[in-house]
Amino acid sequence: MKLHEFVVRRLLLLIPVIVGVVIFTFSVAHLIPADPAATQCGDKCGIIIDYTDDGEPITAYQANRERLGMNEGVDVQFKKYVTRLFEGDWGESETYNRPVLDVVKDAAPITLEMSFFALMIAYPVGITLGILSAVRQDKMFDHVMRFFGIAFVSLPIFWFAMMLQLYFATGSAMGGVCDPIFGTDGGCFPVYGRHDTGFTYPEDGFVWFFPEGGTGFHLVDSWFVSDAKLSTMPDEWNTRWLLFKDTLLHLALPCIALGVSSAGSLLRYMRASLLEVLHEDYVRTARAKGLAESRVIMVHACRNALVPIVTILGFSIGGAIGGAVLTETIFAFNGMGRVAVTSITSIDYTVIMGVTLVTSIIFLLSNLIVDITYAIIDPRVRLE
Amino acid sequence: MRSWDDGKGDRKESLRRLRQALSQSRSDLWRGWKVYRRSLLAVAGLIMVIFVTTISIFADEIAVEHPYRNLQDTEDEWVIDWEPRMKEPRSEECDWHEQKIITNTRSKYFLEEVVAESHNKVGEDNRYYKDTLSVIRIIKIEDSKGYDLNSSLLYIDPANSSILILTPELYNNSTLNLGVWVTYEFNNEAMHHSWLPDGYDVCIFGTTDTGQDLFSKVLYGSRVSLKIGFTVATLTVTIGTIVGSISGYYGGRVDEVIMRFCDIFFAVPGLILAMAFVAALGSVMSLTIPVWFGVLVPILFLVTVTQSYLLSTVLDGDRISDRTMNIVMQYRGPLLSLLCFFFFVGLLPAPAWPEFFGISESLGWRLGAALGIIVVIGAITLADRKFIQNWDFEGASERLADSFDWTNPLRYLSIRTLAIFVAIVVLFRFSNGSGDEIVLIKDFDRLWKIQAALIITGWPGYARLIRGQVLYVKEMNFVEAARSVGAPPGRIMFRHILPNAWAPLLVAFTLDIGGTILSASGLSFIGLGANPGTAEWGILVSESRDDFLYHPHLMLYPGLAIAATVLGFNLLGDGIRDVADPKNRR
Repeated sequence: MKLHEFVVRRLLLLIPVIVGVVIFTFSVAHLIPADPAATQCGDKCGIIIDYTDDGEPITAYQANRERLGMNEGVDVQFKKYVTRLFEGDWGESETYNRPVLDVVKDAAPITLEMSFFALMIAYPVGITLGILSAVRQDKMFDHVMRFFGIAFVSLPIFWFAMMLQLYFATGSAMGGVCDPIFGTDGGCFPVYGRHDTGFTYPEDGFVWFFPEGGTGFHLVDSWFVSDAKLSTMPDEWNTRWLLFKDTLLHLALPCIALGVSSAGSLLRYMRASLLEVLHEDYVRTARAKGLAESRVIMVHACRNALVPIVTILGFSIGGAIGGAVLTETIFAFNGMGRVAVTSITSIDYTVIMGVTLVTSIIFLLSNLIVDITYAIIDPRVRLE
Repeated sequence: MRSWDDGKGDRKESLRRLRQALSQSRSDLWRGWKVYRRSLLAVAGLIMVIFVTTISIFADEIAVEHPYRNLQDTEDEWVIDWEPRMKEPRSEECDWHEQKIITNTRSKYFLEEVVAESHNKVGEDNRYYKDTLSVIRIIKIEDSKGYDLNSSLLYIDPANSSILILTPELYNNSTLNLGVWVTYEFNNEAMHHSWLPDGYDVCIFGTTDTGQDLFSKVLYGSRVSLKIGFTVATLTVTIGTIVGSISGYYGGRVDEVIMRFCDIFFAVPGLILAMAFVAALGSVMSLTIPVWFGVLVPILFLVTVTQSYLLSTVLDGDRISDRTMNIVMQYRGPLLSLLCFFFFVGLLPAPAWPEFFGISESLGWRLGAALGIIVVIGAITLADRKFIQNWDFEGASERLADSFDWTNPLRYLSIRTLAIFVAIVVLFRFSNGSGDEIVLIKDFDRLWKIQAALIITGWPGYARLIRGQVLYVKEMNFVEAARSVGAPPGRIMFRHILPNAWAPLLVAFTLDIGGTILSASGLSFIGLGANPGTAEWGILVSESRDDFLYHPHLMLYPGLAIAATVLGFNLLGDGIRDVADPKNRR
């Protein structure tokens, strides 16, 4: 099978799953006990707002039911839901008082940025430790690393995040071990939030917030967003750097909390994978040629051991998006996870549908990319 | 017709095989343990798991107070203590008490004596009251602005240790509404852990924000977590194994449909999926199923499973003639419809019976049900006889006795009958007799909801795992051989495939207990799990969120408990994997 055939096949396989997810989100939302028509009118449900042609009174509640299409059959509702989905009308959120699509659009980049950055931390750490552990098999270091591999996976994310806040976001005055090293008062890292509420520009005392607009990924936006105030700054690039640093500092703790379990499982997989490769014939050949051990490991073994690691990426992304629910709650990021929690606790069913759909699409697409990458790296996969 | 003596050789053979299998499994276990104990981490994991389990079992004996909570778990005899002993909130010392004494010279309530009282307690009538404390020493006195006062300004009444007396100096110099904070140590024997050595006999984890002993709460939390872990893991493994083995064994379109269905579950990140299900289950107050569904489905399932198990064990080859096999196959359909018929005739019109006989509704219902069950059981027993021998009434009672004799190889048929009987009895035990519905879980509280959500989200993973294992084992030579000899699918499944696929299942089961504890506490943490105020680890951590920076002990210990328990189960699972799958160990 050629690569493009594989990609097309993989894309076609995606369609039934997405259809299934749409049906699934729809049915879950309809299982939820809340009556949106009743919640919208609150205590004014009994008020008669209109009369039918026959003179029958119409209460606010009935009007809401009519407007929301709840009097129709489930199949008609589902058809309407799907057509609206494609038209970009995902409904109006009750809690946010905004269209669901806007809520999701604002939230998605935050979660994606956090997950991406978390994996950016987890992957190098996990892979490096895995390689070191495999190279020093059955030494003390290996035993310690094996323990940490399991321990990292066992950590409850929310608790670990709070421990990080305790020790790295508070200075020694508050019981933390961390003294200010990045110039932030009270600790190394900010306790929560995506940004400082505003920081004073050094020269003119101008209080400055993160500029609106842009992609929503603030690590990128801090360099590229165009802002009228920003361009009038005497040294624009220094301000941009401050913005970038601020974003990065705020991201650090949530991402460590989020990435630690991925790092743990990566460590274990990398170790197992490398150990398997080290018993292969071509490694023996390389050693027999008289190559330096470092070269054998880094060039011959690691490159092959890294191939199956790509598949772990799919799981890690799912774990990171799921774990973002917890870290975003703790670190007060208004990402998808927080939106999900808010919408579920306040039973805002349009948002629940939207969030579930978008997270699953993000997850599916990232898995698709992972699969295609794997097929490029390891052509044997395409044969199946 | 086979006589009883004909089966003698078969009986001896089956006993011999049983003994052999037992000794085999014992030596397998011993060998496995010898491999297992080589790994320090694995042994440590086992010890941790045993430790946590023991602690949760003996929580009543170890804990100094019962957590004030509302778990609504009537199965366990947890004493709900209506008198939570309030100590100073969020303190790491349980014997210290801080109290404000307001001295007001103009007030008629102003006295030279102050009674040392506890914080508010909740009485049995849900009203607050206070206990008098016997004070050991006064630690600190400070005025309302926080300046230390001379501690000799206040002394304990030598006659009554629960009365503090103001010296005239403090009494006369106090201005209007001067508040004085007194910190004193009091005798709190109830909170001491008698099993700890001297010098450690304080409440070791400190107190929560409501003044309860945190250690006791963490202890009782282990019960909740372990219960969730075991329930969810067991049920997900069961469902996943059934679905996965069907999918893997039959393949083709069945496999395709099941796997596409599972893909939908994999498409949504686990925690978000579980959250959605918790929300969707929000209105379910008690888990009920219609009577016809609740009785018929388990029966049909049992009939199918035991039938294939039966075919796989007794009815092979030379012992039973091919003609009998044919009869089994031939009569399966009619027998099942017979069962359905008797069931509907016997059970469903039952609510209409009271008018008929003029008896009370519940009695009529139970009478009808009992009659229906008797009819169904009788029909199945007779039908079972039909499987084996040509049916006639001569000697029917002896054959019936045969079927309950455990040494009789044909007893498996009776096992099936018994299983159906037990299923019905169990279902009626759960039913509260209201008529149309069988109550499986009477109070489907939030703990049950997260368990249900985790089960619903968890089983596809197992289905995929088992499917892979079945596909892998199915291609092996011995399965091919069994199939070429003509073994039926049930025999291949139970005798050849599943025994070779149990190892990864056991590993996944152990790891899943840990994973479930993590997700359940995570759900509780974001407020979708157990009720607030429950002694659950996730809840305890989330309750400490307000001021954990100032009182880190509140979240440290419950979090450590989660981490340690999950770590124990993960190490255990890893150790079992090393034993079961030596290829993986390096």
